[in-house]
Amino acid sequence: MSRGKKKFAIAIAVFVLASAYLAYSGARGSMAYYLTVGELLDRAPAITGSSVRLNGKVLPGVDWDQVSGRLAFTVTDGSRQIPVAYRGIVPDAFKPGAEVVLEGTYDGKTFTATRLFAKCPSKFEAKPGGV
Amino acid sequence: MSELGNLSIALAALVSAYGLVAALLGAGLRRADLQHSARNAVYAVFLLLSVASGILLYQALTRDFGNAYVASYSSRDLGLWYTVSVWWAGQAGSLLFWAWLLAGFGAVVVWRQAGYRELMPYIIATVMGVSVFFTLLLAVVSSPFARLAFAPPDGQGLNPLLQNPGMFFHPPTQYLGYVGFTIPFAFAIAAMATKRLDDEWIRATRRWTLASWFFLTLGVLFGMQWAYVELGWGGYWAWDPVENASLLPWLTGTAFLHSVMIQEKRDMLKVWNLVLIVLTFGLVIFGTFLTRSGVLSSVHSFALSSMGPLFFAFIAVILIVSFTLLALRLPWLKSAGDLDSLVSRESSFLFNNLILVGAAFSVFLGTIFPMISEAVRGVKISVGAPFFNQVNVPIGLALLLVMGLCPLLAWRKASLANLSRNFLFPGALGLLTAVGLIVAGLRQPVAVTAFALSAFVTATILLDFHRGAMVRRGHGEPYPLALGRLVLRNRRRYGGYVVHLGVILLFAGMAGSAFSSQQEAVLRPGQTVTINQYTLRYEGISQYPTQSAMVTAATLTVFNSGAPIAVMNPQRNIHRGHEEQPMTEVAIRSTMMEDLYVILAGIGEDGTANFKVIVNPLMMWMWIGGVLMSLGTVVAFWPERREALRARARYLVGAEA
Repeated sequence: MSRGKKKFAIAIAVFVLASAYLAYSGARGSMAYYLTVGELLDRAPAITGSSVRLNGKVLPGVDWDQVSGRLAFTVTDGSRQIPVAYRGIVPDAFKPGAEVVLEGTYDGKTFTATRLFAKCPSKFEAKPGGV
Repeated sequence: MSELGNLSIALAALVSAYGLVAALLGAGLRRADLQHSARNAVYAVFLLLSVASGILLYQALTRDFGNAYVASYSSRDLGLWYTVSVWWAGQAGSLLFWAWLLAGFGAVVVWRQAGYRELMPYIIATVMGVSVFFTLLLAVVSSPFARLAFAPPDGQGLNPLLQNPGMFFHPPTQYLGYVGFTIPFAFAIAAMATKRLDDEWIRATRRWTLASWFFLTLGVLFGMQWAYVELGWGGYWAWDPVENASLLPWLTGTAFLHSVMIQEKRDMLKVWNLVLIVLTFGLVIFGTFLTRSGVLSSVHSFALSSMGPLFFAFIAVILIVSFTLLALRLPWLKSAGDLDSLVSRESSFLFNNLILVGAAFSVFLGTIFPMISEAVRGVKISVGAPFFNQVNVPIGLALLLVMGLCPLLAWRKASLANLSRNFLFPGALGLLTAVGLIVAGLRQPVAVTAFALSAFVTATILLDFHRGAMVRRGHGEPYPLALGRLVLRNRRRYGGYVVHLGVILLFAGMAGSAFSSQQEAVLRPGQTVTINQYTLRYEGISQYPTQSAMVTAATLTVFNSGAPIAVMNPQRNIHRGHEEQPMTEVAIRSTMMEDLYVILAGIGEDGTANFKVIVNPLMMWMWIGGVLMSLGTVVAFWPERREALRARARYLVGAEA
């Protein structure tokens, strides 16, 4: 390898290593289990209190106090369910039947969500015969 | 009608397959008649898909709710233009839109670029191969012409979230950009198949690449704008898988756009350019799939989506065919030039590419992380916005730095004199900006670096404009004329610089987001909330019906340091037919300095209202940056007179031959 090429190899290696380190530390800081309702309940004692992402469908019966911004509802994976408490901006796409992704913690009874994402309706297709 | 639609699609699939085979046989057996027939197949597919699209639009406009697709995405009270947008509102329709655009682009290539006789059969084979995939999906998996057993009296309507002007800007531009990259990809495949591996295929597709990049850029920006005004959380980018899907081919496409210049100028990076265009096209297909299924953001596995395996098989085919071909052609792809120095124009292009591809890789990794972890550890683990930001913010800063260095470095090896001549003044300006901002009290290191780099890069670019104009003025032109002619006579170079200025504004605007502030307040009429220098007084609620919705609007008087400056009306509207989904309409007051962004989060029975107020600095800079990026691309795209003459000469020679 010529001296010129060696310099390039070193420069590229430095770049790649720096990016890899950034990616590694970034991933460590924001990794969280991404679970369905059933998976969360199965793992419940082990993950209690740690930050997880929960995916599920909103059941009818949403209790939303618009003034305080407090929202209480239940998510399901079709067979099991978890009650959810949330406070903050409620996205427009949120409604009974909508698929949501929640970030927060589970205390064994209620999932306390700090962030609430509802699927933009353009981005998924209703399954034939689905809810 | 639906039968005719189904028939058109089935025929389009058959003719695409025929075109693929005829083109390959025509090339292999050197049969001109087969090659000619393959060209006609492209026109025929375009015609058939136009018929299918016309039928779909006709059914939508005549409210034929016996068509399941039309019934799912429109209703009787939907206006004319939103009814037209039904074409790309859902999965089946947007796949048809994709295939139709592809056939249209293919027809343009066959018609306008017929001079590339040796490449043409393989270009046609590639385009028709892709067309086979999409028309088969339409025919077998996701038909826009499925009939309902009983036609309902009214359709389910278009989701109110999609009833926004963004519906006409974001999806069409995104698709134009996605599909456009098929053409450079097809030329690349043809170049490898025919061993015509000089820069012919790159020159032939320069305009396709630029146009595709232009539309992809617009698509991403329109998507950001739409998210900002419509989704009502105060931001424009959330590292959602679907957003990432639009960014990925943009990143590799941008890398491609730059690295081809090295092949044109120095005959280097040949393999790399081929790899980049293949990756870009693969990511386009990946992005189309993500956008149309949302499968990654869901915990459900890919197997549940009937299209998932098909898309992954198709991506596998693309990668295997392309890279096998590339491996076979490696002996013909030796670089003529060599990298001489770390500090040179070539190496700055190399680092630009490294950075863009590094960013693409990290975004790709973050997006599919749940899949990887499920495959490796049996449990889905996802990474959030902090991951993407932590990786991409430093990458973005590095990109900004390279953007400033690259255009002013000499080719081959920059001398010390070259460096000091070009960078002394901009470097000093950048440092001065940093010091000034720190003295002014800015403490976020990332933002200060971003602003300082922005000043540095702006200075390098303006200095280059100035020097060029001064040279022309030396020949007796007045300065403004010299500046104008400089740009018009070197459209590619200076158009590129205008794009760079746009990118700087975009980055500065993003850096401004580091200083956003927000305030939540529950107010009774007459009460106020204060954020920064603004005080907002809640005056009350008013309700009134419009054609399609019941509007509930709050009235807020905005004071800037005590003086009234504006009245804002954030709303919550209930659209007919979508009573369970109130639509939040934020109120935004934009100035060059900052946006005041007010969300009406909720209303109580007694008129008490819950507001979220956000101040987003420098948002306008981002949008102006986007406009500059588009303008610069148009300048670079516009044919130069010299080039037009040369093209005409080539054409005449071709006609005589």
